[in-house]
Amino acid sequence: MMPAKFVHKKTPKIGVLSSIGKNASALVLGLKYFFEPNRFTLMYPREYIVLDKRYRGFIVLIKNKCIGCESCARVCPTGAMKMVKFEVPNPKNPEKKKIVKYPTINHQRCVYCGFCVDICPTEALYHVPVHDVVYFNLADMIQYVESFQKEPVSPTAAEGAVPVKYIFDPERGLVKVRIKEGEKQ
Amino acid sequence: MIIDMQSSEVPRLNMSSWEIGESRYLPGMEIKKLGKEKFVVYIGPQHPGSGHMRIIIKVDGDVIVEADPDLGYVHRTMEKLSEGRAYIKIIPLVERMAILDACNATLPYVEAVEKLLGLEAPERAKYLRVALCEINRIASHLYGFGIFGVFLGHSTMYMWGFGDREILVELAEKLTGARLTHTYPIFGGVRRDAPQNFTDNLRKAIRYLRKRLEDYRRMFLDNPVIRKRLEGVGIVSKRAATDLGLVGPNLRASGVEYDVRAVEPYEAYDEFDFEIPVFEEGDSLARAWVRVEEIKQSLRILEQVADKLDKTKGQQIMHDRFWAKVPPLYKKVFEAEGRVKLMPLFAILRVPKGRAFARTEAGRGEITYYIESDGKDKPYRVRIVSPSYRNAIMFKYAIPGHRVADLPAIYGSFDYFPPEADR
Ligand code: SF4
Ligand code: SF4
Repeated sequence: MMPAKFVHKKTPKIGVLSSIGKNASALVLGLKYFFEPNRFTLMYPREYIVLDKRYRGFIVLIKNKCIGCESCARVCPTGAMKMVKFEVPNPKNPEKKKIVKYPTINHQRCVYCGFCVDICPTEALYHVPVHDVVYFNLADMIQYVESFQKEPVSPTAAEGAVPVKYIFDPERGLVKVRIKEGEKQ
Repeated sequence: MIIDMQSSEVPRLNMSSWEIGESRYLPGMEIKKLGKEKFVVYIGPQHPGSGHMRIIIKVDGDVIVEADPDLGYVHRTMEKLSEGRAYIKIIPLVERMAILDACNATLPYVEAVEKLLGLEAPERAKYLRVALCEINRIASHLYGFGIFGVFLGHSTMYMWGFGDREILVELAEKLTGARLTHTYPIFGGVRRDAPQNFTDNLRKAIRYLRKRLEDYRRMFLDNPVIRKRLEGVGIVSKRAATDLGLVGPNLRASGVEYDVRAVEPYEAYDEFDFEIPVFEEGDSLARAWVRVEEIKQSLRILEQVADKLDKTKGQQIMHDRFWAKVPPLYKKVFEAEGRVKLMPLFAILRVPKGRAFARTEAGRGEITYYIESDGKDKPYRVRIVSPSYRNAIMFKYAIPGHRVADLPAIYGSFDYFPPEADR
């Protein structure tokens, strides 16, 4: 137990003479960064970040694993996940139909909180590390069972943009490095 | 359709109606004449700073004689919406109050519900919460600095503030899986364990940011041009700050010793050795300095958190009530990916009848939640008091007497965030 201490401080005062020095100091610093900039801008359509496995991106369904328990639809905070009923032939009694339920996702509403993925008791849902899919109309954003099972592809990656990743560096903060062929993590 | 370029009417501004009078408009600025040299100027609501709000000022010449903050343009009825939702669904909702400070904004909600449920997060989960809270605090201060810089015409500070914030956002993404809306603390613990190299990355980021703060001082805080605009501008006396109930760094810049992390330590804050800077002057410069000093202390906390995280590696991050009886698949996923799978009961979690109150120190000050439960799966009432809402009143008292040109310096120095105030 060591509670935080309050420490009283004063803003430093600077006189006229030292203010000239401070002005020069700011200019010198500006010049330093002019000649040695520390840039890590992502040149987006030409480059794309290869995201972590842990990234909460688009969600994909594994239909075989789904038991239709509805947990995902119940926990969804935005109502993006809904259950849809299907009639399938009953294997035991071919006369009668069996009703099964599968989730449907509406990407117009999803906020990628990942609650549905975490609550699914059979791991039937998973995140793909992709975040830049483009839809041409709103109806495409509602994915029924068929399209919900396909992993979306990042259009920048598909068009051959350069894959990059960011690594931490004690001198430069973040450094952008190019990922070479076959080095995907 | 073909447009005949020659004959079609091109709407033009009728310059003669631009006389000072009823109909002079500038984008986001409407001016009304009151008398000779006296005007009402509406600043906003089209995004005068970091969100939509309006300050109505009365000027005599270019001296502001009256200022009236006009809030509520981004009100999203979060309190009311909370009454109709399951407890877990409120976390992603209230998080949108201050997305750049998401963990700090949702943590008191989670704590209040935990109080009602009568459980406490395990040790490692507490450290992870503190880690994300401090990452958020630094990110929020850097964001504030960026906006402050661009208010003063110092675009270098804007670029630096936002650029260096990226490092913290990246750290948060590595930890939680999302850049801003982390939805990280959850009843009973946190949702993900730190990845393998998290503490190494954290230490690297701390070393870099320490070095950068020195650059900030040289480029911004000690820069005579910036100092001239901030020193002695927008002074809030100790008396005024306490009477009006300011919170957070703005309060501590006026010489008042108050910080929830010290007066009522939550999570694991009482285990860390850190200082809380308090400045005496109460002017815009002091408010800028107090944030820089606070970033230094947050880095100090993060350093200690990194050690603690290394020490508690592999420990449980979810309370036994939601973890002791989980199926083997859940434990397997946790071991492989560090992801805490939620029991299906989370979706319909019933919270015992009662009232709970919790507060934390967010980037901009104290944030308070009061929850009343009537034993159902939805709260009866959720009351939120956010720091920006409490700070907004200061515009009324700190701005008058200054020139119009000082207004951005004062507005920026308060680090006011309308979405957080309006909820
Ligand atoms: S990620 Fe969140 S918002 Fe999206 S479908 Fe799943 S639970 Fe709903
Ligand atoms: S929670 Fe999983 S198993 Fe249950 S309905 Fe949703 S996807 Fe299917």
